[in-house]
Amino acid sequence: MVKHSPVIGRYVTIDVDGFEYKVFYLRNGQGIPLVCQHTAGCHNHQWRDLLEDPDITQNYDVIAYDLARHGKSDPPLNKEWWKEEYRLTADHFINFITTLCDALELDQPIFMGSSFGGNVALQLAHRHPDRFRAVIPVEAAEHAPGFYLDLWHHPHANASQVCASGVWDLMAPQSPDKDRWLTWHYYSQGAEAFKGDLYFYSVDHDMRGKLGEIDTKRCPVIMMTGTYDYLTPPEATEATARQIPGGIYIEMEDIGHFPMSENYPLFSVYLKEALRLIEERT
Amino acid sequence: MVMSVRDWAIRFTEASDRDQTIGAMARYFTCTYLWDMETEKVIVEMVDGKVYRINIDPAPLDPYDFALRASAHSWREFAHPIPEPMYHGIWSASFRKDLKIEGNTLVLMQNLRNFTVQFELLRKVGVPV
Repeated sequence: MVKHSPVIGRYVTIDVDGFEYKVFYLRNGQGIPLVCQHTAGCHNHQWRDLLEDPDITQNYDVIAYDLARHGKSDPPLNKEWWKEEYRLTADHFINFITTLCDALELDQPIFMGSSFGGNVALQLAHRHPDRFRAVIPVEAAEHAPGFYLDLWHHPHANASQVCASGVWDLMAPQSPDKDRWLTWHYYSQGAEAFKGDLYFYSVDHDMRGKLGEIDTKRCPVIMMTGTYDYLTPPEATEATARQIPGGIYIEMEDIGHFPMSENYPLFSVYLKEALRLIEERT
Repeated sequence: MVMSVRDWAIRFTEASDRDQTIGAMARYFTCTYLWDMETEKVIVEMVDGKVYRINIDPAPLDPYDFALRASAHSWREFAHPIPEPMYHGIWSASFRKDLKIEGNTLVLMQNLRNFTVQFELLRKVGVPV
């Protein structure tokens, strides 16, 4: 029996800081736009179950894109990108997201991202509070040093397996094998972008001393972190949320750094609470 | 009662050699590593995906590529069927607990997929400390 998903994939071409990107995104639902950023070195299939969750898509227009150089979004089409080492900066990441939201004509979307996507969510709340209805930084912190490592690209090792198994421990042992190995599979596909993404995650993203400037009356911030996340452990996210006036922290039990991908049924419980809190505040 | 290191070596060898996930990609899984569990030390020698030998009484100059060193308490935590947060892997325990990864870590990275699976066998096999 043929079974079609309601999720539709499309490309849109945008210009970001002079870089021409043909961006691939998956979309399903209706209502308030919910823009979803995958984790470093990965792609939008991490949001596969959210995209097909009718409890969410009946009220939210879910859009999960591949950041340039990830999944089906190619590197810039108008640059000789192979002649420079890729290092993602906060400025370029933020401009990419706001340009994409403009291209899709999204009205006051909610932005949700995990890991480096969570960190950029904090940056968006800080720099563009009037452009987003709210942000949901997942597995995020004000600063996350320690993962910008040369070993991700060492030519004497299998980079695909190093990246995929290097992030294995970021998932909770309780998460289903099927979903943990799917996440491993996605990570085996993104080794070339992983290290450059982590330049943003561990180096260029540094919001220490700036969190008090976030205005949650204009852009509510709901942070969520899993108890098995060793990179941004719960205490790091909680400490970050406490420094944001009006910031909210939700601890997610028995889940790790890729909650939407490693155990969506559990993650969705917390996500629905985050969306309810946003609805109350907007 | 803690199992003897000799019994542990037999159980670990059987578990590793029969593991389907390791077996699916085992052809080049060749390396030698030390596990320092504070009160016991073992050197595991892997050849083409199989446990070739486990040295349960290493001498000071016995060679290995890389080592994992942690307290006996941490090793017991690693061996729980569902470990507590931060005891659930070598990365988490090295970032947040007392696990030290030493030696030629490039060899660890070259074998990371299978080594990670093998480390988690401790949840079924247990530890001799």
